[in-house]
Amino acid sequence: MGAIRPFWDTYRVTGVTFLALLPPLIVILVLRGPSMIAPLGFAFGLGFFWSFVFAKLRKSAFNWHSAINALIFALLVPVATPIFQTALALSFGLVFGDLIFGGRGRSFLNGAVVGLAFLMFSFPAAPPDIALPQTAIAATFSGAFLLALGLLSWRIIAGFVICAVALLLPAANWQDLPSATVILGLVFLIGDPVAGASTHLGRWLYGALTAAMLVVFGQAAGDLGSLSSVVFAALLASIFAPLLDQIAIQAHVRRRARRQLYEP
Amino acid sequence: MHFEIRRGIKSVAGPIPTGEPIDRRSVNAVAMMGGDYPNVVFDLRVKEGDMVRTGQTLCVDRHHPDVCFVANASGRVSKIRLGPRRRLEFLEIVITGDDVITFETDDLRKLLLQSGAWTSFRTRPFGVIPEPASFPAAIFVTATEATPQAPNPREVIAADTANFQRCAEALLQLTTGPVFVCQRQGTPLVAQGDRLRVATFSGPYPSGCAGPQIHRLMPVSRQRMVWEIGYQDVIAIGHLLATGRIMTSRVVSVSGPNQAETVTTLLGAKLSDVVGSYMTVPNDQYLGRKTLQVTAQGTQANTARPFWHKILDALPAAPIGAMLPMEALERAFPFDIPPAPLMRALAIGDVETAERLGCLELLEEDLTLLSDLCTSGSDYGQLLRHTLILLSNERVG
Repeated sequence: MGAIRPFWDTYRVTGVTFLALLPPLIVILVLRGPSMIAPLGFAFGLGFFWSFVFAKLRKSAFNWHSAINALIFALLVPVATPIFQTALALSFGLVFGDLIFGGRGRSFLNGAVVGLAFLMFSFPAAPPDIALPQTAIAATFSGAFLLALGLLSWRIIAGFVICAVALLLPAANWQDLPSATVILGLVFLIGDPVAGASTHLGRWLYGALTAAMLVVFGQAAGDLGSLSSVVFAALLASIFAPLLDQIAIQAHVRRRARRQLYEP
Repeated sequence: MHFEIRRGIKSVAGPIPTGEPIDRRSVNAVAMMGGDYPNVVFDLRVKEGDMVRTGQTLCVDRHHPDVCFVANASGRVSKIRLGPRRRLEFLEIVITGDDVITFETDDLRKLLLQSGAWTSFRTRPFGVIPEPASFPAAIFVTATEATPQAPNPREVIAADTANFQRCAEALLQLTTGPVFVCQRQGTPLVAQGDRLRVATFSGPYPSGCAGPQIHRLMPVSRQRMVWEIGYQDVIAIGHLLATGRIMTSRVVSVSGPNQAETVTTLLGAKLSDVVGSYMTVPNDQYLGRKTLQVTAQGTQANTARPFWHKILDALPAAPIGAMLPMEALERAFPFDIPPAPLMRALAIGDVETAERLGCLELLEEDLTLLSDLCTSGSDYGQLLRHTLILLSNERVG
């Protein structure tokens, strides 16, 4: 008897993420016109290429999630970035953020985040992008879809929103926060299950930590919704995510031990 | 006491069986499967070709020779198959005649041990047959359907209320603590007493499994052991107490992609005799000791699925990947245990962390949903069994 196929496998997770990515992709293609096809297609092809190269080199299973990460990268990157900078940064991000660890699920960073961070460090002159409110709405739909499937954690979102509101209420410039960049980043970069924490308490803390860093970086840059603050907040928070998980696990173990001491 | 378990999977996998059970008790052969009892080394008391009577001891547990495994039908021992390391795989009896052993019913423990009814108990932690002299902190009677398409326990018990009540009261002699009857909401299935209690559970699958129920009523640990037993085994013990003869019939559900039915058959019956025209099964397949649902594989044609499922179906099946710590795992896991760290600990064989997180509360069946949702394709039930064996050896050594 053959085994029953489990519902989730890596291709399906990647497929669902791709479906979720379609609304913002379509909106951007419609708004910016056919000039976006070339950079998006280029990034997608590059992601596929690196996935393929690593699958061949390591003689391991092929996983095309890098192509999805490349699309997210291409969505967020400023339009005016020269193609060689995109190629360099994206390759660095996918390879050193994800693939050399063994591919998706084995690394603790999101390849798109590492690529964007590399781009901002190396070529800081890239001009800021114009935020498109329609993209923000489309990204909200994507987030709702992923939330319903349990691929995106509502705890991360809630921790993020609560912390951001608490920090921004005194400053009263919270209107800048729900920009297209922040929502896309929250759904696809910060909310990536691989980059984020993997326990309930850890997810609350991770969401809050990301928001705190986003506000700090954003205030320093003078623009809350700037791409650099989103990217560096996501990068630093995902480095701290395993630590937050450890804290959550310790708290859980201590609670269990206490329960067993006092119960009849 | 009522508990609402919210976490789980809501979608129904297929049709729910309805109506009176179809009688398929006239099967050709029954078998005892070694795999139903993890951790047991069997000492055979019969050999191929022997004639046995219903209730006759076929083999005993080498470490506890008082624990007997008995014949579910009278006939000839036709096949004894040994697997790797000469472990008993199954022992088949071809049914001829109708010769039944009658047991003395005065000493409950002795009766249960000799009649093979002892093997219907399972301990938590570790999920093994309890030691003959042990006293659990509580006994849990699972009178909820453990799988979505299993027969309705209330209907099965309604046909045999007296035996159910008789056994539930007798179970009080085996423990100093309470006996919990875990059921769905509605009229209590037993007359409650001081120690005989009813707890009701509602919620999606797996709220009917013993694991989440025990987790809420009395979480187990190294210091506290409980026993669990299925409702049909309770009826069978009630029957045994009343008549001195073992009851071998069981009600199971048989379902295909589009229809389902309940069937009365024998414990360990040959599957091809049970399933009727639904499916073809290989020759040496038998009903497991605790199996209450037999399902034909196939696409679920009648269940409504979202459009994007069809897109996903078009993708080829992925090779094994890494585990993704999605929140979907938590939503399907009704225990106060963080699933992702537990799965990681089990996958790398970190026994200490798994125990600290609470894996002693779990048995294989509690992890089926996690195995289904995990992208790595690992069988966490098997990994858990491996961990539990290491932990139980540690306890002895």
